[in-house]
Amino acid sequence: MKASIAPAMLLIARRLGIALLTVLLASFFVFFAVQALPGDVAQQLLGQNATPEALATLRETLGLDQKVWIRYVQWLSGAVTGDFGTSLVSGNPVGPGLLVAFRNSLLIAVPAMLIGVTISLTLGVVAGVRRGRPADHAISLVSLVVMSVPEFMVATILVLLFAIAIPIFPAVVLRGESATIAQLLPAIWLPVIVLTLSMAAYIVRTARSSTIDVMASEFVTTAELKGLTTRQVVWRHAVPSALLPTLNVVALNVAWLLGGVVVVENVFNYPGMGKLMLESVFNRDLPTIQAIAVVSALVYVVCNLAADLIALALDPKLRTRRKARS
Amino acid sequence: MTPQYPEASRRAVLAGAAGLAGLGLLTLAGCAPDRRTPTIPKSAAVGTAARGGRLRIARPAASAAETLDSASSLSAYEYLGALYNRLVKLDKRGTTVPDLAAEWSANADGTVWTFKLRAGVSFHDGRSFTAADAIYSIEHILDPDTASPQGEVLAAMIGPGGMTAPDPLTLRIALLTPNAEFPSLLTAYQCYMIPEGSAADIGRTGIGTGPFRLSSFEPAGTGSIEAFDDHFAGRPVLDGIDFYSIQDTTARVNALLAGQIDLISQTNLDYATALVVSASSTATVARAADAQWYTIPMLFTSEEFSDQRVRQAMKLAYDPQVIVDTALQGTGSPGWDNPVPPDQSVFLNERREYDPDKAKFLLKQAGREGFRTEIYTSSYESVFTPLAVAYRDAVKDAGIDLVVRNASSDSYYTQIWMQKPLMVSYWFTGRPIDQLLNQIFRTGSSYNESAWSNPTFDGLLDSARAEMNDDRRRMLYQDAQRVVIDDSADMTPMFGDRLVGLSRRVVNYSEYGFEFDYLSIGLRA
Repeated sequence: MKASIAPAMLLIARRLGIALLTVLLASFFVFFAVQALPGDVAQQLLGQNATPEALATLRETLGLDQKVWIRYVQWLSGAVTGDFGTSLVSGNPVGPGLLVAFRNSLLIAVPAMLIGVTISLTLGVVAGVRRGRPADHAISLVSLVVMSVPEFMVATILVLLFAIAIPIFPAVVLRGESATIAQLLPAIWLPVIVLTLSMAAYIVRTARSSTIDVMASEFVTTAELKGLTTRQVVWRHAVPSALLPTLNVVALNVAWLLGGVVVVENVFNYPGMGKLMLESVFNRDLPTIQAIAVVSALVYVVCNLAADLIALALDPKLRTRRKARS
Repeated sequence: MTPQYPEASRRAVLAGAAGLAGLGLLTLAGCAPDRRTPTIPKSAAVGTAARGGRLRIARPAASAAETLDSASSLSAYEYLGALYNRLVKLDKRGTTVPDLAAEWSANADGTVWTFKLRAGVSFHDGRSFTAADAIYSIEHILDPDTASPQGEVLAAMIGPGGMTAPDPLTLRIALLTPNAEFPSLLTAYQCYMIPEGSAADIGRTGIGTGPFRLSSFEPAGTGSIEAFDDHFAGRPVLDGIDFYSIQDTTARVNALLAGQIDLISQTNLDYATALVVSASSTATVARAADAQWYTIPMLFTSEEFSDQRVRQAMKLAYDPQVIVDTALQGTGSPGWDNPVPPDQSVFLNERREYDPDKAKFLLKQAGREGFRTEIYTSSYESVFTPLAVAYRDAVKDAGIDLVVRNASSDSYYTQIWMQKPLMVSYWFTGRPIDQLLNQIFRTGSSYNESAWSNPTFDGLLDSARAEMNDDRRRMLYQDAQRVVIDDSADMTPMFGDRLVGLSRRVVNYSEYGFEFDYLSIGLRA
């Protein structure tokens, strides 16, 4: 019986189990990490205005006087049914607001990823194939520089150039969460460029080194001896193999993109998940932080799962074995 | 542990980098007005404004819990002065002057106050403003469920049933104890007048008597207000104001430089950024003079600062003018440890001495020769760290060795303030004298940031409240200032001008204390 289950299915099932556990653990750790932060939502909201009486009243209204464990279990039982609770700060349900913020973040993250991955893979392969030539030097140098400059610096420079000196793009998004996609569209380009640049450099470097490895391997030499043109060797044989190790880097980068989004969204006042997260952490708005943690963990897990599946599809060994059985 | 200075915060680095890059860029682009060292303008542009137009203001929203209810501690500050009026307000010299109350008087011992209200004032919904609305508004502030910061202050004075309306335009308030300064306590920005029965929804409707009426409001989001044609003092110059929430300071400045907004509210630009903004062709900087009151509280309950000689030495050891010149680059005025700003009518014009040798001597007497301790700062406010560093350098001559420690800004007012023996802090100026001294310096007040306690001082405040003669009362307040300078645990090195970024199109901007002139501000014709 066991033999009839494709190894791929087994792998997927195991991956799904790990994914679920990861999300659960993430929510657990985030919950208690926030508890450990100095100050609570009551203190954060009232700030310097806080009198002990006002603090006590607010804590009671918010249910902060209950035990931490009880609050975690309550939250978990709600989250399982899709109810992320209400924000301690605004009093609105967390779900809808987060959904809008997530959509807005996707609006800059997806184009950044598509453009970034395409350009950087191409550049990486070109640099790898033309190893040691001027093109390689140029690509390596530029990607090293871009990699070293933090995103907030890139963002600031781009704003100074393209919003203030030559006003082509808006410097910030003025409208908050109520902004429609149409209203956001003119403002997404600078954030997209920043995210693309900060992500691309890593992928370029990995793609370059794995291309170099593959180009040096025996089967490429065989292909060359067989009389194939360089172009055929590169695109038929080298690139698919070089993509394999790069895939995981791309997946990791997507997760890293979520972190970059926090900085970028704040510089551009962009109403996405990163900005929501920073504000929620600042206000100690636990239900919102929790929901964001779960969504981020989900994105991370899904991306890694996708990377594994694509790797499965690209891996010649797995491919041939599957063919033999069917 | 908190990192030790120098370790600039990410934000400070960013601001500095933006400043440098900006300066370079503006010079390259050739749009810097002149090549000399850039300076920050002394005063805001005045002139004839075009009639109408919409002003766009960027504001740092407090949180998504913010409300238009002025009594609440979560009020959206920028909207309040445009939407509402108080009974009374403060003028630039700290004197109580009419707003919705035309005149007021007290009985001989200051226990019963009678306010004559302005006639013909209407709310945005068309109703007339009467004494019943005033009583309702003050009761809303007193209501413990409102948890208003001003509630505690007023509840100590007004008992249940203490307010009556002999006729629709007369408000009579009977106090529990005499208070010659009572009207000034109604100038707080929590004391705006709202229509009777509106407490439940005032947070969203914003119905007041102010020069603008609300057309939309989203907590921590955008909002708009429109000129109110029937405002008692006449229609404002502008047609309307749009408010946008931008949390990040750099983002607010970028929006201003890019021409997306016209004014940044409630933001004190750091000096480098202010230079960049004043050098740009689209934006400039105006000052709200002495708007930021910087303090260095020495915790009275700590071992070292419970000794009056040590406190006195910490003051004698530095020259405030040096601090103003280094920490503020001259954009402010020296405080000489008197918390009352120099432009106030009750200001005590006596300067304490600057004598590092005497400071050294006092420390030796107290057995603390070569006194060494830590001073805490944070990126919470742009001047904090420059102030801490300037103070550290200034007291070196007196043999005082301070180590500057940088604490996280989001927990600065919960973990450091009123807990560490020495730190830097600030308040906005604009409190009336009675509230300033009672709230920040009186024994046991929850805002007394140094936990200082002095029975003589408390007694002077009580005598002042009971003194109905204005001149004698002023002398009592000046005696109280003298006690603060000599003995208190809260140093006042300086008052800083708030450096406000605004578009070059804006004219007649004026702001002091908690007053913003929404009537005259306009856009260039």
